[in-house]
Amino acid sequence: MAHVVLKDLVKTYGNFKAVNDVSLTVNDGEFVALVGPSGCGKTTTLNLVAGLTPITSGDIVIGDRVVNDLDPKDRDIAMVFQNYALYPQKSVYMNLAFPLQMRKLPRDEIDKKVKEAARVLDMTHLLERKPRELSGGQQQRVALGRALVRDPAVFLMDEPLSNLDAKLRVQMRSEIKRFHQDLKATIIYVTHDQLEAVTMADKMAVMNGGFLQQYDSPAQVFAHPVNMFVASFIGSPAMSLIPLEISTANGGTVLTSAEGWSLGLSPRNVQKVTKATTKKVVLGARHSTIKLHKSAVPGSIPAKVYTVEPTGDVTFVQAFLSGAIVNVSVPPNIAVTPDERIWLEFDQERMHLFDGETEMALEAS
Amino acid sequence: MSTIAETASRGQTRRRMRLDGWRWAGRIFLLFMLLYTALPMIWMLITSIKSGFAATQFPPQWWPDEPTLASYQKLLDPQNSVGQDFLRFFWNSLFVSTVTTILSVIVAVPAAYAFSRFTFPGRNFLFFAVLLRNMFPAVIFLVPLFILMRAIGLVNTHGSLVLTYLTFGLPLAIWLLKGFYDNIPVQLEQAARIDGATRFQAFIMIVMPLSTPGIIATAIYSFIGAWNEYIYAYTFLSKNEQLTLPVGIQRFFSENTTDFPGLMAASFMMSVPVVVLFLVLQRYFVRALTEGAVKH
Repeated sequence: MAHVVLKDLVKTYGNFKAVNDVSLTVNDGEFVALVGPSGCGKTTTLNLVAGLTPITSGDIVIGDRVVNDLDPKDRDIAMVFQNYALYPQKSVYMNLAFPLQMRKLPRDEIDKKVKEAARVLDMTHLLERKPRELSGGQQQRVALGRALVRDPAVFLMDEPLSNLDAKLRVQMRSEIKRFHQDLKATIIYVTHDQLEAVTMADKMAVMNGGFLQQYDSPAQVFAHPVNMFVASFIGSPAMSLIPLEISTANGGTVLTSAEGWSLGLSPRNVQKVTKATTKKVVLGARHSTIKLHKSAVPGSIPAKVYTVEPTGDVTFVQAFLSGAIVNVSVPPNIAVTPDERIWLEFDQERMHLFDGETEMALEAS
Repeated sequence: MSTIAETASRGQTRRRMRLDGWRWAGRIFLLFMLLYTALPMIWMLITSIKSGFAATQFPPQWWPDEPTLASYQKLLDPQNSVGQDFLRFFWNSLFVSTVTTILSVIVAVPAAYAFSRFTFPGRNFLFFAVLLRNMFPAVIFLVPLFILMRAIGLVNTHGSLVLTYLTFGLPLAIWLLKGFYDNIPVQLEQAARIDGATRFQAFIMIVMPLSTPGIIATAIYSFIGAWNEYIYAYTFLSKNEQLTLPVGIQRFFSENTTDFPGLMAASFMMSVPVVVLFLVLQRYFVRALTEGAVKH
């Protein structure tokens, strides 16, 4: 296994910058998820690391080698594709053997390694089948087997679970995670599903528009999103973002809404909003940090219920507040009906404040 | 409730009847088409086993009173001058068609792959330029090509025909094969390259086997085109020992104006290679090899 370093990585197609100055380090044995909406450059980044797409500028280091101009075959990587890319004319056995044959290993060693990989992935009975005779989950497993049979320096995975049905996806998610723990493998994993990234990765790199937005552990990204994009992209349901304005009332700093109400701030939060470049500030709050009251309590803000979504464990309530939709989770025993008047109380400790102009998180120094 | 169910079932019956009407119309149409294509061939076969006299008799003998294989024996007998000619024409046709087919596959495979996989300046323009030839009737090029062939000294050689058939067959062959390559997911090659293959190895080891049906379809197409071509062979070749079958048969026909059984036997034997080729390889047209390769 090896570490991977991307330094000022750029990929342009004509005038379009698909990957923009991306720099990050994947430590040896780390599971890193590249996550972002479609077209954010995450798959392009992975293809650059794989060598399937030539880079425009920057450096890629795998192990201790700069691999910028190396062929994919010389980079000592393995890749799992979204559509599995199994060789349809070859049996499962030959699919697994192919990377070893290309490296000219002796026949008996190939046989040993293929059978070992098949045993680990519990598909010894499938070795003679052709890919088209396998279910989606089995195909996925063969693709994984073809990657691990070779013991590469880095595993690259391009949305490997997105073609599976929901139940199988959850199952394979834990299998890949287990696989990472057992092999201490360095894995770069591309996904558009933030839940996969949060649940599986040691670190996640959130990308948007070709730029790396934030690169940190899932817990850090979740607790301290650097900007409004990361805040709204990570977490489900999404963080509620309410545009407000800074003003002073009774000598203190408050946030006022166009709807007329205002929200007092804790001293720490006052410190944060003084950093804002203009008067515009966006308040961010996750569903679990907002309290729902049936009647007015001090510090709470009136809102109107839009929809109610019971999920069994919790009920998600969506409410209109200052032109934005706010997600609140409540215990299932609290009955709320659409169009009902409710009062929302924000947790000063766990609320996020963003600059309304730059969309960056405001931090107390 | 019952009325609703009744209406529903009646509606269903009516729909099925209407559908059946269409289905039968389709079957009758297909039967008509089958007769239309098969009857001339059957008549060719029947005539070829008649005697010369029986072939011109009126009213015609639907089935010959004395079926004979004499025409076939005559055509296949190398001692006989007619047989010598026929076998030479047959060999010429086979040679020209085979060379055309091999060259056309050798050129079309990389060309189609490049059109399918790479982006390069003028790619779209070139691709349509390739198809442009097919928008004109073939005879338009007859005189210009003849002048060209004479200038480069290829008149009265089989090379002139191979070159001409290539210019006619290649556009469609490239176009056909490009469709095949477009359907092979690029991830297969990428996987192979990551698994340790060079770009060329990935093409040879992964893409080529998958495109076999396309290559065979292309080859059959080129072969049949070259095998059946008449007007260029007629124009470019004048020496008797060089003629291909379509032209040769016509010569052979004018020498023996009344020998319809001989002509039909020659025609039949000329159709045999094409039909056999097609029957043997037709499963490749049908088989979709990429099925199960990737999830769509």
